[in-house]
Amino acid sequence: MSAIDVYEPFNRGLPPLKKYAKQLFGRRAFIAEFAKSELRRQNFGSPLGQIWLVLNPLLLSAVYFLLIIIISGQTDSARYAHLTAGLFAFYMITNSITAGAKSVTAGGRLILNSAFPRIMLPIAASVVELFKFIPTLIVLFAIHIILGLPITFALFWAIPLIFIFYIFSLACAILFSCINVYFRDIQNLLPYLTRTLLYLSPVLYESSALTEKLSILKTINPLYPMLDSWSRVMVKGELPFAADVFQSLIWTLALLAISSYLFLSREREFAVRI
Amino acid sequence: MSSLSASNLNSHNRGEVAVSIKNLNVVYKTTLEKRPTLKNRLLQFSSGKKQTRIVNAVQDFNLEVSYGSVLGVVGANGAGKSTLMRSISGILPPTTGRIELYGSVSTLLALGVGFSQEMTGRDNVILGGLAAGLSRADINNKFDEIVDFAELREVIDAPMRTYSSGMYARLAFAVAVTVEPDILIIDEALSTGDAHFKMKSLNRVKELRGHNRALILVSHALATIEEVCNEVIWLNKGKLIQKGDPVSVVAAYKKFLEVGSSPMIDEDV
Ligand SMILES: Nc1ncnc2c1ncn2[C@@H]1O[C@H](COP(=O)(O)OP(=O)(O)OP(=O)(O)O)[C@@H](O)[C@H]1O
Ligand SMILES: [Mg+2]
Repeated sequence: MSAIDVYEPFNRGLPPLKKYAKQLFGRRAFIAEFAKSELRRQNFGSPLGQIWLVLNPLLLSAVYFLLIIIISGQTDSARYAHLTAGLFAFYMITNSITAGAKSVTAGGRLILNSAFPRIMLPIAASVVELFKFIPTLIVLFAIHIILGLPITFALFWAIPLIFIFYIFSLACAILFSCINVYFRDIQNLLPYLTRTLLYLSPVLYESSALTEKLSILKTINPLYPMLDSWSRVMVKGELPFAADVFQSLIWTLALLAISSYLFLSREREFAVRI
Repeated sequence: MSSLSASNLNSHNRGEVAVSIKNLNVVYKTTLEKRPTLKNRLLQFSSGKKQTRIVNAVQDFNLEVSYGSVLGVVGANGAGKSTLMRSISGILPPTTGRIELYGSVSTLLALGVGFSQEMTGRDNVILGGLAAGLSRADINNKFDEIVDFAELREVIDAPMRTYSSGMYARLAFAVAVTVEPDILIIDEALSTGDAHFKMKSLNRVKELRGHNRALILVSHALATIEEVCNEVIWLNKGKLIQKGDPVSVVAAYKKFLEVGSSPMIDEDV
């Protein structure tokens, strides 16, 4: 009989990927179950909790809308739709960063006492944020109808865009969960990072308002092309620019590849670092 | 990293090798700071000092465990017992050497449940089981058995943070013995329960002994070790000091505890 499992020293590098993927796939029920109990724990299982889930970003968008009115002295309804749609998507990503950052360090006891593909933890954390995002789509849809925004076939582009947002969130969750194992104070820096990211993204302003001098943002901020496309689809009912979608995809896949590599090559060390 | 599942319950013959450990070394390399932070790293970097502590938790270790046997592991605090168990479970990779497993191993070590203090006992059992590779159906089938064994029916839906340490250990033990892995490792889970539960868990271990599994029992309760094990190893500072029948190894270890040294160890230095 040959050995079922062999443990040998590892050098920095990836674990056997095929085996890892198989183990990860075998534990997909964990991810679903984790999301369920986490949502329950955060009280989103109850109707009141779900109301809070949509009320919270709505209040937030109301506050920012106030800010915009005061600064620009004028307003229009499309502006509000742009802001709300952008904020909801933006918050899925930053919530995923925050929850992801904690996911590995919070799973300390489980990491110390069981062997499993550690990447399950940030994946589960990002899935929770996706589930919290989905109900807000209903609100976006309601706003869309109430404000009489155009309803076109381009709206179907929302689906692939949400998919890109999610994968991007996932990549961020993986990256920050890994960084947080080595630098626990990164959590304190996250609010500054997410705030900066918000100001660099076309959420509080529309992309057309960006001056020529600042157009570099479109290239260096990964969220820029995503959120700009999102607004075009969700507010104007227009097709996103192919170049923007392409750029978003490249950013997302690159980040996913880098963060997964970092995570997988280090996760065997986590049990010692927790 | 093995998966537990009901289909893994293929029987093994008594005497067949379950675990084989060759020249195992496990080294911890840690920084001295309490919490690894970016700030500390930058401060260290600017002062040019790099403070690391190296602990040789397990050294030149060789061992074979066969099916149908119960191996007891004794040793003082910090001897490297838990480290060795974590290596066998695939949680800590060896620094050098090789570990071979010929069966599924229960990775639900010592207080293995306890994913989140905030979640309920029920959620913790389910998530711990799923993480260990059990299927949802396996857990559903065993869930009542686990709760009944732990006698925690009333509190199973309360958050784990409201559990006493004994209740915690009960639940962990109940999970570990109920999932029926080929190789079961129990690290100190026996010692926290009250007399009633201790008796119950001891009986459970004896029962499992009859099933031709491989059991590894880490405990400071020497009487228990003597009673249930076929073989005992004594670890000190990461080294295997003695291996043999329970009575003589435990006697030697007891003597060492009293005197604080032993001819066996002195020879080594
Ligand atoms: N995460 C860690 N980082 C650094 N050193 C560690 C770590 N965990 C354990 N050690 C060190 O490794 C050695 C062995 O620890 P281990 O937990 O294996 O002991 P043990 O035999 O289980 O002790 P006990 O009887 O108290 O449970 C100790 O010197 C300990 O300080
Ligand atoms: Mg220990």
